[in-house]
Amino acid sequence: MSGKKIILVTGSSGLVGHGIRAAIEQEGQREDEEWHFVSSKDADLQDRASTEALFEKIKPTHVIHLAALVGGLFRNLDHNLDFFRINTQINDNVLSTSHRYDVKKVISCLSTCNFPNETKYPINETMLHCGPPHETNFGYSYAKRMIDVQNKGYHMQHGRMFTSVIPTSVFGPHDNFNLHDGHVLPGLIRRAFDSKADGTPFVIWGTGSPRRQFIYSLDLGRLFLWVMREYNEVTPLILSAEADHEISIKEAAELISEAVGYHGAVIQDTSKSDGQFKKTVSNDKMRKYLPDFKFTPFKQAIKETCDWYAANADKVRK
Amino acid sequence: MSSKKVILVTGGSGLVGHGIKAAMEREGQRSDEEWHFVSSKDADLKNRASTEALFAKIKPTHVIHLAALVGGLFRNLKYNLDIFRINSRINDNVLSTAHKHNVEKVVSCLSTCIFPDKTTYPIDETMVHDGPPHDSSFGYSYSKRMIDVQNKGYHIQHGCTFTSVIASNVFGPYDNFNCENGHVLPGLIRRAFDSKADGTPFVIWGTGSPRRQFIYSLDLGRLFLWIMREYKEVEPIILAADEESEISIKEAADLVIEAVGFKGEVIQDTSKPDGPLKKTTSNAKLRKYLPHFVFTPIKEAIKDTCDWYGANPDIVRK
Repeated sequence: MSGKKIILVTGSSGLVGHGIRAAIEQEGQREDEEWHFVSSKDADLQDRASTEALFEKIKPTHVIHLAALVGGLFRNLDHNLDFFRINTQINDNVLSTSHRYDVKKVISCLSTCNFPNETKYPINETMLHCGPPHETNFGYSYAKRMIDVQNKGYHMQHGRMFTSVIPTSVFGPHDNFNLHDGHVLPGLIRRAFDSKADGTPFVIWGTGSPRRQFIYSLDLGRLFLWVMREYNEVTPLILSAEADHEISIKEAAELISEAVGYHGAVIQDTSKSDGQFKKTVSNDKMRKYLPDFKFTPFKQAIKETCDWYAANADKVRK
Repeated sequence: MSSKKVILVTGGSGLVGHGIKAAMEREGQRSDEEWHFVSSKDADLKNRASTEALFAKIKPTHVIHLAALVGGLFRNLKYNLDIFRINSRINDNVLSTAHKHNVEKVVSCLSTCIFPDKTTYPIDETMVHDGPPHDSSFGYSYSKRMIDVQNKGYHIQHGCTFTSVIASNVFGPYDNFNCENGHVLPGLIRRAFDSKADGTPFVIWGTGSPRRQFIYSLDLGRLFLWIMREYKEVEPIILAADEESEISIKEAADLVIEAVGFKGEVIQDTSKPDGPLKKTTSNAKLRKYLPHFVFTPIKEAIKDTCDWYGANPDIVRK
């Protein structure tokens, strides 16, 4: 029987961190697991001394490393250098301090936007370094890719089990609903609520054609628990619903309108950038491990997220 | 008329640094250029404060950034992590400090070994990020590739002209003549001198058939001077001899034997692997800028290098 796990979750006040909490709540706390959800209030991971102090205080056996400087399409465009340097600093501090504190497993969180922009579909884990990422977020993407490079290095040089997961577009409660910084689904939810409230038309940015596989934060949380407990490869693992569950931005907007109860005009602003058209990823590797895992139906997940948004107007990050 | 340039060369005590010095000596010091060749004796570039102190002291307008933790094949295999982290730290210190000090241009030095391992030939500048590098030196390669990523980032975010050159198969005086190094020409030179000295046969590893482009450090130095003065792109530029001047390993060995004056037995050890028959890098971009640049004939360059080796046994790095 393995000993007690002390699990440190960095960057835990965000979307994915809350998804993990929701998953723990859903299945019930395990006796052999002691969880510590931290955020920038607890430590400045850009600072080595602060990172060390955190590890010294908590003494984790496991780390789920979610902390990063993130941003949607429009934010990344201007600040690729900063995104690269700051995330690189954070990642180096977390990985090297984990090594120093003999952490048994570190799971970092990459993103499907880190994959090559010019690629065949579906994308799989082996393709991560096979070409430059999309121009708009190259700084963020290269910083994330370098986590995978270091995971391999820590394993080869020190025998460490540092690994990573690659989720597709995540959504759920506690997301960032800021229109400038946020991602596509929270942006749509925010604008739908705003339009409902002030009677203005609901605007979809771009053509609405890009297709995405979305993953509900609760489901991602459930998968993170499994990865933390059972996944023992150093190479990354894509966490995504099936390829045939892709939907277009326009279809997502329609489901959101319905969930929000918005009945006004829906307009497309085609002057806004679309981002990547398709990012279809394969979840074959995940399904090899978890053939029976069931995702929350998309319509239900959207409804729950919108209900949360409406009920938590004061807490919503805008 | 442009004003005075103050040029800082990091890692100036190695093969390439000496090539630049040789080029300057040949063409004569320019009155609008003040050169500072520094090495680890002058500053520890892994340390931010030390790097800042160096820049504050010298106040460079231009930087040629050669400093790196390099290592031959055997060193790299186990220590890819360290090589990645240390070089990443050095590069971040140099680039960010150069930005802080308003340096007009930084020219970093990459190498063709950082290109994707699985590739078509000839290799050109656009292919740097198109696939994983050779496994044996992935740490070194990724840290060098991230210079190119940051060059782009500094340009987009701050308008800096931070760029890079990509050289390969450089040879000349002040090289590392250690046999485990993996670099072919210095290896041949070292073994020819050893065989001459102790009467053992001179062994050529492999069939001797693979063809390579070699570049003499003096020529590389001349090209660095041009890049520093005239090249304004942020994208890298390959500095290589023409494909027609490729020679086989056997031909190179014959030139070395002649230059060294070795008259003993020559053996081919065909049990040693050859590597690819051709690894041609395209110098089309270079030739577009400098159609009339004349490379030192390889026979003469090898002779000069062997003469230097013979005359400097006490300083030769082994």
